Order: sequence, then C-alpha cells, then structure tokens
Amino acid sequence: MPAAPAREPVLPKPGPGVSSQELPWLELGQITVPGRGRPRLDRVSLAIGGGERVALLGPSGAGKSSLLAVANGQLKPTSGSLRWLGAPPARSGRARRRQQARIGTLWQDLRLIEELSVQQNLNSARLATWGWPRALLNLLWPLDTAANRGALAQVDLGAELLGQPVSALSGGQRQRVALARLLRQDPELLLADEPLASLDPRLASELLQLLLDQVTPRRALLLSLHRPDLLAGFDRAIGLRQGQVLFDQPACSISPADLAALYGGKLPDSGP
Amino acid sequence: MVAPALVLIPVLVLLPGLVHGGGVDLLKEFLQAAFSPSLDPLVLGSTVSGLGITVGIALLGWAASGLMGLALALASSRQIWSSCCGQTWPANLLRRLLAVPRSIHELLWGLLLLQLIGLQPAVAIAAIAIPYAALVARVLSDQIDALPSGALAALRCAGVAAPQALVTALGPPLLPGLLSYGGYRLECALRSATLLGVFGLGGLGTELKLCLQSLEFHELWTGLWLLLAVMLLLETGLAGLRRRWLMPRRLGLGGLTFTPLGPESGTGTRGKGQTALPDDLGRRGRELVLALVVLGPLLVWLARAMGVQPLALLHWQPLPNLGGSSWASVLALPWPQLVGSTLLLTLVAAGLAVGLAPLLLLVIAPWPWARPLLQLTWALARLWPPPLSALLLLLLLKPGLVTAALALGFHNLGILGRLLLEASDDYQAPAEIALQGAGVGPRLALFYGRFSGLARSYLAYGAYRSDVMLRESVVVGLVGAAGLGTQLLESLSSFAWDQLLGLLVVYALLTLVGEDLSDRARLRLLSPA
Repeated sequence: MPAAPAREPVLPKPGPGVSSQELPWLELGQITVPGRGRPRLDRVSLAIGGGERVALLGPSGAGKSSLLAVANGQLKPTSGSLRWLGAPPARSGRARRRQQARIGTLWQDLRLIEELSVQQNLNSARLATWGWPRALLNLLWPLDTAANRGALAQVDLGAELLGQPVSALSGGQRQRVALARLLRQDPELLLADEPLASLDPRLASELLQLLLDQVTPRRALLLSLHRPDLLAGFDRAIGLRQGQVLFDQPACSISPADLAALYGGKLPDSGP
Repeated sequence: MVAPALVLIPVLVLLPGLVHGGGVDLLKEFLQAAFSPSLDPLVLGSTVSGLGITVGIALLGWAASGLMGLALALASSRQIWSSCCGQTWPANLLRRLLAVPRSIHELLWGLLLLQLIGLQPAVAIAAIAIPYAALVARVLSDQIDALPSGALAALRCAGVAAPQALVTALGPPLLPGLLSYGGYRLECALRSATLLGVFGLGGLGTELKLCLQSLEFHELWTGLWLLLAVMLLLETGLAGLRRRWLMPRRLGLGGLTFTPLGPESGTGTRGKGQTALPDDLGRRGRELVLALVVLGPLLVWLARAMGVQPLALLHWQPLPNLGGSSWASVLALPWPQLVGSTLLLTLVAAGLAVGLAPLLLLVIAPWPWARPLLQLTWALARLWPPPLSALLLLLLLKPGLVTAALALGFHNLGILGRLLLEASDDYQAPAEIALQGAGVGPRLALFYGRFSGLARSYLAYGAYRSDVMLRESVVVGLVGAAGLGTQLLESLSSFAWDQLLGLLVVYALLTLVGEDLSDRARLRLLSPA
C-alpha cells in the first residue's frame, strides 16, 4: 500500500508541463466534516496542481461528494485548511465570489435553468463578472453570441441550438451544454461530481474525453468516478474510504489489489 | 364531486317557507328588463363614467397590490432569505404577520378606511391593495419556495452575487405562474371594485345599487351589460395573453401554487416549454418589458384623472374614544350564534357553488345549445356582486341565512363553473370516448370518463374557494341574520368601535382557521393517492 492516510498535506505532484514551484490549484489540509456516527471526511489532505487530471474513487458513502462540496466552497469543514490557488477562502463576500468564479463545478444533475435558452444558460456562467445591466439584458436579448458559439463548438454542438430552450434538448445535448457553460465560466479548477453516473457507456466515454481535453497547464480537473475502468486518461487517482484517503498515486500504478482494498473486496460493476 | 350539491335538499325544503308574496311580479319585471336596457344618453353617460371609475380603481388597486405583493413575496420567501443571509426566521415572521391583512376582506378594509379617512378615491384603491398584496405575497412566496434550488445553488457556487443569481435562476421559472396569477388577480380586482361601489365607495357599484333600490331595472341592466362586456373583454384578453406567453391555466396553477411543484405541474410547464419556438423566451421577456413600459404611464395618468391622492391616506380622522367604552357590551354579543351562523352560511354557499357547477354541466351534457346559455349565466353570476344578488333575492325571499347563502353561492358558482369548464375542455379524456363508444349516454360518459379525472383538482380548488367564501360572508351580511357579517355592518354603522374591534378579531381568527383547514384539505386532495 503506497500512501497511508496522510498526516501532512501532500505536496502537489506536478502534472505534465507544470513546474513544481507553482502553488497548488487546490489544497486541502486535515479537512474534517462531521457526519452521523462517523465523520463524512476525516482529516483529508490533498493537493492538486495545474494541468493535473485527478480521479476520485471510492464506494458510495466514502465522502466523495462531501470532498467536492468542500472543494467548491459549498460545504464548510469544521476543521482543517482549504486553499484555492494558494489563498484561503476570503472573508469578504465580494472577494470570495471572485475566488469562486475561478472554480467551476459540473453537477451530476447539471443544474441548468430549464426555462432559459441554451444561450442564456451559457451566459449565466458569466454572471459572476457581469453587473446588473447585463444580467437583466441576458434575459431579454441574445448576448455574446460569438463566444457562446465557440463554447458549443468545443463540445461538438452546433450553433443552431443557441436559441433552443434547454428543456427541449436530449440528454446527451444537455450534458454537453452543461459542460459548455463550464467552459464559458473559464475556471482554473474544474470539479465534477459523478458526471458519468447516469449516462450510457458511449455517452459516458465521450463526455469524459471532452472533460479530459479541457485540462491545460493552467487548469486542473478533480472528478469523482464510480467506475475504475475509466481511469485511463487520468494522471492521478485518489482512493477515499470511510472519509479517509486510502491511496493517492499515479493512475497507471493502481493495481487490482488497491481497488479490492478500496471497495472492500468486491469490485463495482464495470459499467451500467 | 357532485355530492356537495346535497345541500340543495334542505335549501329547497326551506325555500317555500321563505317566499313572500308580491315579489314574483317584480322579479319578472327585472328579467324582462334584461332585453330592454335603457339607452337614454344621460343614463349611458353616467354608467360609462361609473364604469370608468370602477375599472380605474380595479387597475390601480391591482397594480399597487402587485408591486407591494411582489416585494413582500420576495421578503417572505425562505429560499431567498437563506440564499442571501443564510437565515430563514425573518421570512417565517413576515409570513405570520401577513396573515392579518389577508384575513380581513377588502370590503371591511374599505369600510374601515372610509371611517378613518373619509371618502377618497385612494380609499377604495387601498382597500383592494392591502389584502390583495398580502395574498399575492403568500402565493408567490410559496411558489418561489417550491422552485427547485439546484440551479440557484450552482450559480451561487460559481461566484455569482445573490441578487443576480436569484433573478436568473428563479425569475424565468417563476414568470408563468406570476403572470397567470397576476391576470387572475386583475379579474378579482374588477369584481372587488364593483363590490366596493355597492357599499358607497364610488364607481359603477354605487349606481347599480341605487338603480336596484329604486327598482329602475332598465337602467340597472344598462350598467350590467356594460360591466359584462368589460369583464368578458378582460377575461378573453387575459386568456389570449396567457396563451401567447405560454402560461399554465388556472386550475393548473392550482397545482403549481398549492402543492410544492407536484409531478403534474412540473411536467405541465416543461411540456409547454418544449413546444416553444427558438428564441421565444427572449421575445416574451421583451414583450413583457414593453407592456410594463406602457402600463406605468397609463396608471399614472389614470391616477391623476381620478384625482387619487395617496397622501390623503395618511390624514386620519380622530377616532372616537375607545378606552372609555364598556367591554361588557362586546362580551354581551351572542358569539356562539354569530360564529355558528357564519360557518353554516359558508357551508351552504360552498355546497351550492361546488356541487352545482358539475351538476349543471351534467344536466346540459346532451344539449349543445344549452352550453352558451350556461356560460352567460355564469358570467352574470361572476360580475353580479353578491350583496346585489342578495338585495334582488329580497324581492322574493325573506331576509335570512338561506337568502345570504344563495347570493354568495350563486356568485361563486359563476367562478367555479367557468374554471371547471375551462379545465374540462383542456382535459384529454380517452375514457369518455371509450365509454361513448360502448353506448353509454353522454351524461354518464362525462361523469365517469371526464369528471373522475378532474375531481381531485376541482375539489382542491373548491376547498380554496370555500375559504374565500368564509372571508366573503361579510359582504352578504346586509340581508340580516347572516352571522358575523351582519353584526359587523351594524356595529360599523352605529360607530360601536369596541364591538367592531372584537368582531374583527374573531372574524380574522375564524378566517385563519378556515384557511388552515382548506390548505390541509387541498394538500390531501392534491397529494398523489
């Protein structure tokens, strides 16, 4: 077993093309979140650097969602330290919003605004930097069409969808629009909570590839995954069990024994 | 669904004993006058100007209640408070406080303000605006809190400030319900403005009452037909807008409003969204902004033309001394009897209104020609203020509880009947076609095939309407022996402020209990079986 639950924050393991002097994009130190009975997160430490693609593995209830919720600022830990690009969460609302605008989350339930068009949904990712006038104008007029067209092209969707209401799209299109919205936000830290859970195998691998493709030297990805068979494109894998980090190592070095220890002897189904 | 109509039996048994002689001829005269309304230019002129004032009061009261209601709805929404400040207790506190203005009928507000401020155009407007704002606030804040919060949380998490996130994530899903409910409130405001007129707050209602009391039936019908035309115009106009902006129908809204977004209403709005044309959504927004831009100056012009002085609402006339009065006289009122007859009045009226609408539809089912006739009767019932029907019934019947209940029930029958007909036309009923194919008669096919599917949402709306009827029972108080309403009007006209205060408190409590009961009934009816 390579790495036992770490007592000290693990130093960022630089991904391809990133110098090790750079600050970690995301750093958790001894994070604890209480739960019923045992803590949901128990002294979890990890660090992720720019350009890294990190998969979060673990059985259900292991604390993957809690960890991501702490990472995007939705859940406040009772103890431990959290740093985004080297800085702790700001106290003032405005500065904190500026920090959060650099963190993008791909939600499992997508959380698109059903009543709005694709274009309006894509623009909603820019609201953190837009003021009131543009926020209101977005509800009345198509704004930033060129940028939105570009975001859709990146996820292999045509510009003709821009005027469609989100509720009229197919499941696969909705996934891609959610990803395009994330691209419009242009975050430096990409978080994704089981984005593949409700997709059929073909859609799942397509979306995963799109996600992995978004990682550049100035962007990091942390994605929770329920299928260890999809680890191929990742640089690193972190195993979470009962709220604790069980392993944190290069994805290519994960052995069947590691997975057996993580899932308590039985492997999850390799696909739906 | 038809079972509430069983109250017809005791009412029919009691009726012959209540009829007094001499009224039949007058009633015949009244009905005949419907075909020959007075076309005298003098009458027409005063009717039109009266109608103008009534419509003005309705529009201004509606607009004021809409603005205040929207602000209060935002301030009493748990979702908004928790999103902005992480607390929900201010929302809960405000909700409780708003129950008070809501529980008092607009007529009572009107009469109270009339005593306090004097006859002013602003009084009638405020009388409508105060209770309506509280109602709008309640319905809208319930709607806001029932909206899914995922998109809002996602935006907040991406660093969007609370106000912008709220507008973008909650505004669009709220809009259809908001518009539909706003339109419904405008229809209600027109009815309320007419009613306030009957009690002397100006406008067409005053003229209608004078005509009725002086038995000038031809002039009365001039006003009635004009009012009917305006009301039908408003209703069709709103229905057109509702279709254009893809609003849900009102019984559909019942689901949206009163259950936390059940699967029914959710798929309803979504299904409609799917048929939306590309860029339809932005267009709707632009049209709305345009409508608001036009409406604003129009309302200001209207207020100026009517001489509304909002500041006049701040100049209160000194109250007669309250402290020195004897509370013994308040306690001496026959409370159990007053409360009992108010409840009985509500029950009978509710039974009549809720039960008769489907019964009448069943009766006319085989005859297509009877349908427009029924629709016309219902339209007249809606616009005819209950105290006027009560006065009309007094031509024929002795004053009392049954007379009051008939008047109240008739008015609400018009409202419920229209809703039932709308919902019934919208409802896809393959079962009915199957039954007809199997040789079942049209009445039974309608009853089994269509009504069975509609029963739950209709009865849920009926529960809501019964709660409205309890609040409205004060307006038929003038026919006497009709419980708290009668006593309230008596105390008002005799300036017995101590009695009035006691009555208001009891009445408000009763309404709040009624509201709670009807809420529970509705939730039970609308929850999936």
